[in-house]
Amino acid sequence: MKKVKEITNKKCFSAVLWIVILLAVWEIGAFVVASTKRTPENILPHFWQIVAVAFSSNKVANGQTATMIVLKSAGATLVRALGGFLLGTAAGFILALLMKMSGLVEKIFFPYLMLIQLIPVLGLAPIILSITGDINKSRVVIAAILSFYPVATNTLAGFKAVNKEKYDLMYILAAKKSTIYRKVLIPSAIPYFFTGTKIAAPLAITASILVDTLQGDGGLGCMLSQALKHAMSIYVFWLIVFFSAFIGIFSGSLMGWIETLLTPQKRAMLKKEKRKGGKK
Amino acid sequence: MVQKKLKRKKTLYQRFQENKKLQSALTVILPLLFGIIVWWLWEHEVLHALFHTDTYTLPLPTKIGGIFMDNIGKIGENTLATVIVAGIGLILGSLLGYVVAILASMFPKVGKGGLSVIGAFASIPVVALAPVMTNWTKDVSSDANMRSMVAKIIVVMLVSAANMSLNAYRGLTEVMPYAEDLMATYAAKKRVVLMKLRVPNSIPYVFIALKVAVPASIMTTIVSEYFAEYIIGVGRQIRENIVLAQYSTAWAYIATACLLGIISYALLMIIQYIVLRKRNAS
Repeated sequence: MKKVKEITNKKCFSAVLWIVILLAVWEIGAFVVASTKRTPENILPHFWQIVAVAFSSNKVANGQTATMIVLKSAGATLVRALGGFLLGTAAGFILALLMKMSGLVEKIFFPYLMLIQLIPVLGLAPIILSITGDINKSRVVIAAILSFYPVATNTLAGFKAVNKEKYDLMYILAAKKSTIYRKVLIPSAIPYFFTGTKIAAPLAITASILVDTLQGDGGLGCMLSQALKHAMSIYVFWLIVFFSAFIGIFSGSLMGWIETLLTPQKRAMLKKEKRKGGKK
Repeated sequence: MVQKKLKRKKTLYQRFQENKKLQSALTVILPLLFGIIVWWLWEHEVLHALFHTDTYTLPLPTKIGGIFMDNIGKIGENTLATVIVAGIGLILGSLLGYVVAILASMFPKVGKGGLSVIGAFASIPVVALAPVMTNWTKDVSSDANMRSMVAKIIVVMLVSAANMSLNAYRGLTEVMPYAEDLMATYAAKKRVVLMKLRVPNSIPYVFIALKVAVPASIMTTIVSEYFAEYIIGVGRQIRENIVLAQYSTAWAYIATACLLGIISYALLMIIQYIVLRKRNAS
């Protein structure tokens, strides 16, 4: 009995519980669909069927297994998403810093920062495609634009969230402007910055996949739309859906890990929480 | 020395900085000026030279405006479809997300894990979600327009619910340090703590969530329109027109999408101002 309680007290327990519940719902749905539909695999295949396809060695297209196709196209998509993400994040951070430094820059660019996100990506894609003349470059550019916005706004919010007492303290200490930035502003904006990257990372991946659907050049999105049109097994579609969901989630939590790795105060906070939990 | 400092005349720059009226005027004037400059560069094809493109893929603003005016009826029809989907999805999703956040704050043990699962939903690319929902809603109605609308609404709903629940949960739990202790000394019931402390505390967080969710809901609607069965909506028209190589029309729809985003965001700002006015005053 004690052991049961120990398990239920674990932090990840409830998450696992919910995942099990969701899987159960999925499976029940799959059984219902299987008994009522002619082609259940188009609507809701059993979860194990998708897993089986992932590990089967049946050739789906061009002498490749489903997993090979997914991984190969995922490589193409993710590398560009990563490139765009890094570019956009760096640009976002720098712009936020500039906006904090100069009211003039903030006044000019803040409204446009709001507008950037509202331009539909796929609408921009063909334009950027014709400008760069290369689908890979346009993927990078679009991923960069999309990840730029959340990082810039969040970091700026972080700069603005520094309370007056800290400024006063710095004033008392006769700190130089560069010191204030180094010791107060940037460290306190870092958590906000990571909040931004947590939003940006899945967005960059979404953007990259979306651009794939434009041109038949490989990549996850391209395979997705082909599988939807039954150019290859529909299970490839499901595999990609699950894979991209996984990658999207994983990219978000990856940012969380990087954050704990880089910020000592977050580590200290986690440690404290752990100790508290242990005492109970 | 001190006297000298007091007497020193303010420089022009200082006066410039301290003039409140001028500064608030500048917040409007500067972006406008920037916009006008970009507009001018665009109209005079400097942008085209800069990006190595032509007036075919990047039509002049006046031409886009002309096409916008010519097709105003059709554009309005598609805009309405997009707005309905984005609006219903946003409202339903936000309500759902808030309820989930309240439940999670009441039962933190089970709720927290559920919240991280929901947070995972936020990270699922729309591109993966949209076609699945299109498949799932095949039986909802015999009308293709109706069922693809339901599919789109569900996608928007999921995205905004995830966003709202995460932010609202923070607002419901991250209260002032001693507020909870104070409530405990009052022997306040859980319900009272929720209504008097947690919910009011979460309102600014709700707006933080909405600030992301409003543009995101339009974006999500546009993306899910690409995968929808029925051809309607601003996003779908952009794609259809690009496939037909009618770049000017596509640009007119892009402009519509931008306008949609701006207007909805402005509306949100006005609502935020009205709701949070009391809080800021005190």
